[in-house]
Amino acid sequence: MLDLGDLDKLVRALAETREREMGCDECFEQMDRFAELEFSGSDAATAMPLVHDHLRKCEDCHEKYEALLMAVSVGS
Amino acid sequence: MQARTNEQWLAELRGPNPNEALSDLYDLLVRGLRAALGGRAGGADANIEDFAQEALLNIMSNLDSFRGESRFTTWAKKIAMNVALTELKRRRWRDVSLQDLLARRTATGRGLADPQLTPEQVAFQNMVLAELRGIIDKELTDRQREAVVAVILEGMPIAEVARRMGTNQNALYKLLHDARKKLKLRMEAVGLPPQEVLAAFDAG
Repeated sequence: MLDLGDLDKLVRALAETREREMGCDECFEQMDRFAELEFSGSDAATAMPLVHDHLRKCEDCHEKYEALLMAVSVGS
Repeated sequence: MQARTNEQWLAELRGPNPNEALSDLYDLLVRGLRAALGGRAGGADANIEDFAQEALLNIMSNLDSFRGESRFTTWAKKIAMNVALTELKRRRWRDVSLQDLLARRTATGRGLADPQLTPEQVAFQNMVLAELRGIIDKELTDRQREAVVAVILEGMPIAEVARRMGTNQNALYKLLHDARKKLKLRMEAVGLPPQEVLAAFDAG
């Protein structure tokens, strides 16, 4: 199931694995606050490190987050 | 559209005459969806309007879960993005079965080493590969193996893999996290900590 072409991808995912990681539900709950921090120029990654870590690892959540940033940018 | 505080949004939407607030919120979601999705919604405004409608229903039935930690409109847009992207992803992947994806991998090897690597580097990669294969076979459950292949190696969206495995995105992330932790620990135990292996790969 694993070939040489996959090796880099898998080892990279393992190297970034932490003992404690936030799940998708919790990340989604906090994503609006994280987006506002980032949008206002604050250091969101330092303020909410587990959200930041999850967004780096989970493509699905990251995509929603990027979309939210764009949606926030048009104002309300 | 009038500016509202979070409290005003909630009071109006819960009040006896929510129509104006509903209409303003709908317009706001449509604008946000247009900005976020661009051409991705198939270019059709009808899609955007459907997503905004569905998000509005979702928002109204979940008003009590708004905790006030962001602006109400940001929270509402987050729900709209979730509705839209979940549906777009479902459509994009609807013809892909997990079994086909896994079967195709078995049939087509991707075993060629980078031709620029030295023989020593190729030997090192083959040694890591053999260790990892053994650990995966011994330590992971069938579900963990399937999830690792589909999500990490094949890049299939986690929500789509979850749907096919009869679970949800959050549970599948946790299953994958457990699998990654197990593999990492075993790699460390055999003297191949992933960070060091990666550094060696990158140096090559």
